[in-house]
Amino acid sequence: MNPENERELLINMGPQHPATHGVLRLVLEVEGEIVKRCTPYIGYLHRGLEKLAEDLTYVQSLPLTDRLDYLSSMVNNVGFCLCVEKLLGINVPERAKFIRTMLSEMARICSHLVWIATHALDIGAMTVFLYAMRDREKLLELFEMVTGARLTVSYPRIGGVRCDVSNEFLKKLERFIDEFPKRVEEYETLIDRNRVWLKRTKGVGVISAEEAINWGLTGPTLRGSGVYYDVRKFFPYDAYDKVEFDVPVGKNGDIYDRYKCRMLEFRQSVRIIKQCIERLPEGPILADNAPKIRMPASPLKIDKEDVQFEIYVDDKSVEDFIKKFTDIYASVEAPRGELGFYIVCDDSAKPYRMRVRAPSFVHTGALPRLCEGGLIADVIANIGSIDIVLGECDR
Amino acid sequence: MKVKEILTKILLIEIFKGLALTLKMLFSKSVTVQYPFEKRNIHEGFRGRHALVRDPISGDDKCIGCMRCTTVCPSRCIHIKREKRENKMVVIDYIIDASRCVYCAYCVEACPVCALVLTEDYEYSSYERKGLIFNKEKLLKNWDEFSAKWPADYYFNKFWQPPGIDPSRWPKTKREQGPVPLKRGVEIKREVKNEQLPS
Repeated sequence: MNPENERELLINMGPQHPATHGVLRLVLEVEGEIVKRCTPYIGYLHRGLEKLAEDLTYVQSLPLTDRLDYLSSMVNNVGFCLCVEKLLGINVPERAKFIRTMLSEMARICSHLVWIATHALDIGAMTVFLYAMRDREKLLELFEMVTGARLTVSYPRIGGVRCDVSNEFLKKLERFIDEFPKRVEEYETLIDRNRVWLKRTKGVGVISAEEAINWGLTGPTLRGSGVYYDVRKFFPYDAYDKVEFDVPVGKNGDIYDRYKCRMLEFRQSVRIIKQCIERLPEGPILADNAPKIRMPASPLKIDKEDVQFEIYVDDKSVEDFIKKFTDIYASVEAPRGELGFYIVCDDSAKPYRMRVRAPSFVHTGALPRLCEGGLIADVIANIGSIDIVLGECDR
Repeated sequence: MKVKEILTKILLIEIFKGLALTLKMLFSKSVTVQYPFEKRNIHEGFRGRHALVRDPISGDDKCIGCMRCTTVCPSRCIHIKREKRENKMVVIDYIIDASRCVYCAYCVEACPVCALVLTEDYEYSSYERKGLIFNKEKLLKNWDEFSAKWPADYYFNKFWQPPGIDPSRWPKTKREQGPVPLKRGVEIKREVKNEQLPS
């Protein structure tokens, strides 16, 4: 703080602030109510996932990706699997593709429900929080039913998925998505035209389309500014090229438009799930050339120290392929934006370097641009609108 | 049009619509589960507390000490102590550090004899770290505690043979693994013994 300018005040917002969605710390220089400068400090949830992955095989790294964006762990898993499948040249069976798409959209609804809940709670509409959590619980139960866990699912595996879905699950899911659009309408009755909500969101945190692209924003945060970009449409993965859906696009690039985009995405996700259930083909759920979990041949051999960290790829041709020092990038449309995995591999079955392109990290970078010049109260609304998860941001 | 706008503004229509919804919810059925007093049903295959399956015939665990679980564990929280006795590998102790475990159930999938299981138990918090380091005795005790609660006579974990996967990918013992009879099914135990004796 400049001692000559006594009107300015330095405020530490976070890391324990409940509205910073985790452990984000913002240092705000304020003059009265106006934010003059905003500096985000990140790294409070750093676990070194990228470094850890260098010491683990491709199969073992999968549970790590659960912990990136823990609200939509399924999408993270799919992103990692897609990258490794691209690397090893594995074709995923059709059924597995549809199952993945279905569960990814479930994760998207789950994540957006947490977002609408916390975002509305931050701005002051508490009832939405209770209703959104009620519906999320049903989805988590469905996740538990098929994957065995509620949050950190570890469900897909390289070359397919782990377990087949049962008919009981499909029926339950169908019942859920039949009634879910009504639930979305409920949230909208509560906040869509509420004058307090409109005052807090319309015309706040505006970012133009050009600027949003320059900042590298992706996902609903970018689409709120009116840019038509979605990884699912432009670089289709899994079964997204076989289902019909629209990409909702905003206009003004303020908080309200981003909110509106996500609310419309709820309906598109329901549409995708519906089509997936209808068209779910029969067949295997794991590719034939998917890496097996390789185990030591006889118990006597395993006393050698190196076997502890030996590779799991059983196929000789796959091993040869890995020996070529290659790098590969694959991305998915996570609920927050474009989540990319970049893997450089050497002759072992562990990645030489794994880099995660996390949307939350990029969006946190754009936070000063959104907050500066606004009011302190709008900082909270801005954090909510870009929908960051610090687990993904700090990795 | 303008009059309508002014009217909606004065009469707080949108706010009353929201309030009507909350009022309606007041009379709808509650979805809250009063947790410690009433419990939600856990689906089969939930990945919870670790346990070593007690073999109904021998009364001991089934682990053969092949170290596959230690190899596959991403957080490296499984430690097996083995010893060579009379040209045979004997598992002395089997330790799982549950505070490091990430509950991915890779160990359950990798086990060729289906000795290890992540049970559907989820209430096992501890005041000290020691309470979360399970050794062989504790793991077998976990299984007993779990099997006492299990309603059916047989138990089969989903991750022993993940549904939908081609069985040729598993070793023979894993492929032939059926549901495990629990301690209550004493009669089943004898039948199995009788079958084995003549062969």
